[in-house]
Amino acid sequence: MNKLNFTEDQQDCLQEIINVAMGQASDQLARYLDTFVYLKVPSIEQVSSKYLSDTINSEAQSVAVVSQGFFGYEGIRGEALLMYQPKDSDRLADLLGYEPDELSVEEQIIDLSSILTTTFLNVFASQINNQMSYSAPRLLFSSNSENKTSSQSSISEHIEHQSFNWDVALKVKITYQVTDYSFNCDMVLLIPESAIINIAAVIDRILEEY
Amino acid sequence: MSVNQFCNTISEQLNTGILILDIEFNIVEWNRFLEIHAHKETSEVIGKNVFTVFPELPKRWFERKLSSVIQLNTQSFCSWEQRHHLFELSHTRPITTDSHFMAQNCTFLPIESDSKVSHISILIEDVTDVCHYQSKLNKALEELSKANRIDGLTQVFNRKHWEECLDKEFSRARRYDHGLALIMFDLDHFKRLNDTYGHQCGDAVLIETAQKIKSLLRLCDQFGRYGGEEFAAILPETDLVGATDVAERIRKEIEKSVIKYQDKTIQISSSVGVATISKNNKRYEDLISNADVALYEAKASGRNKVCVANNIEYTLE
Repeated sequence: MNKLNFTEDQQDCLQEIINVAMGQASDQLARYLDTFVYLKVPSIEQVSSKYLSDTINSEAQSVAVVSQGFFGYEGIRGEALLMYQPKDSDRLADLLGYEPDELSVEEQIIDLSSILTTTFLNVFASQINNQMSYSAPRLLFSSNSENKTSSQSSISEHIEHQSFNWDVALKVKITYQVTDYSFNCDMVLLIPESAIINIAAVIDRILEEY
Repeated sequence: MSVNQFCNTISEQLNTGILILDIEFNIVEWNRFLEIHAHKETSEVIGKNVFTVFPELPKRWFERKLSSVIQLNTQSFCSWEQRHHLFELSHTRPITTDSHFMAQNCTFLPIESDSKVSHISILIEDVTDVCHYQSKLNKALEELSKANRIDGLTQVFNRKHWEECLDKEFSRARRYDHGLALIMFDLDHFKRLNDTYGHQCGDAVLIETAQKIKSLLRLCDQFGRYGGEEFAAILPETDLVGATDVAERIRKEIEKSVIKYQDKTIQISSSVGVATISKNNKRYEDLISNADVALYEAKASGRNKVCVANNIEYTLE
């Protein structure tokens, strides 16, 4: 858990932009899902690729992880990981407004992930006068998955098996809570090293404007 | 050429379907790709409701999906991995794949006018090819993972996988304070059988005996080949009486059964050791040792019998 290479002003500014985006996103989600959505104050930190699986694993024994790439102007890009715990998926279909037999659990998880990611990042992007595009969300790992190989029993193993071409990443973790459905999930935005500098530039511009 | 003409030309030649709907789900526009693969006349499609033109669409699901696009003003996706296809379209590999319809990745994009979503653009990619190869890969992975679990000769679990199962069952039994029994079988005088009739005959006996034992166990019991002529069964939620009962029944069946190999008839017997989990068992290996001791006792005291581990450590408590 490294300290950010951001100045205090930069970090405050980023925190503020994220807070505002969270507020608007939770409002939009509440209206769409027709239930109160609570977003916990995010943690912002820098992680090194070596410790990524530790960081993620210490937070949750996730049973499903969905990845969705995002990219905007000015070199803002990264990957959003949505992490679910075992009991979280019980009433997802209900929450999403589908009949349970209309879609598989995996599809429910992917669908919700996409909604959470894009809703938040769209607002975030508009805060910094940007516009995001997204890749299709992908289930990286699921303990329900039929074609899972028996050697992979957790997300950290999944991540350990990969080699990365980045050393440090900016990590923003936001926890979503839908109390009416006793549902929780974590959204972890990871912004690779090469894009952090672009974020810093955007923040500096915003700071100048104030 | 104007930019508009460029766009038109490209969209007509694109190998991706473009379908534009208004917010009442009426078709406003589509491109040549869809016209060809849906095999419908453009003039008969434009202005019609999407559910009329594509009655195969899951209506409620589709409406909810599009409502998220309209309400949240954000894009949405649908992958072939979750839904093979939404639209029943023909595809470009009708000869060399067994796919009836085009496998699709669909993207739903909101189109805004006057800061309100007025239309939805649906992009439909043909991923029949990807789907075909991924399915083949999955099948190969499945076979590999099976080969990794199964003993090639007897087709029951191999030692490695069986021990992994025991490890799991052991932890579960300890955590929830449930019963767990272990039965180890050893075929009597197997070496003599190999020396007398040859190894192929020995193999046939192993195959038949493994199948016999397996057929006498419950579905939840896990059965594997422990070594050469040694087999082992894990019986969850089973006490010593129950396990001894099963062991005795299997021993009798093995003794009774006559195995035919070429023109010879072969009879074989087995020595059996039974152990159950006790509070003193810290690791699953302890359970194996206990069953092993009982098995040795069965061998030493004349073979073709069942012996029970007496959990010496437990009685010391």
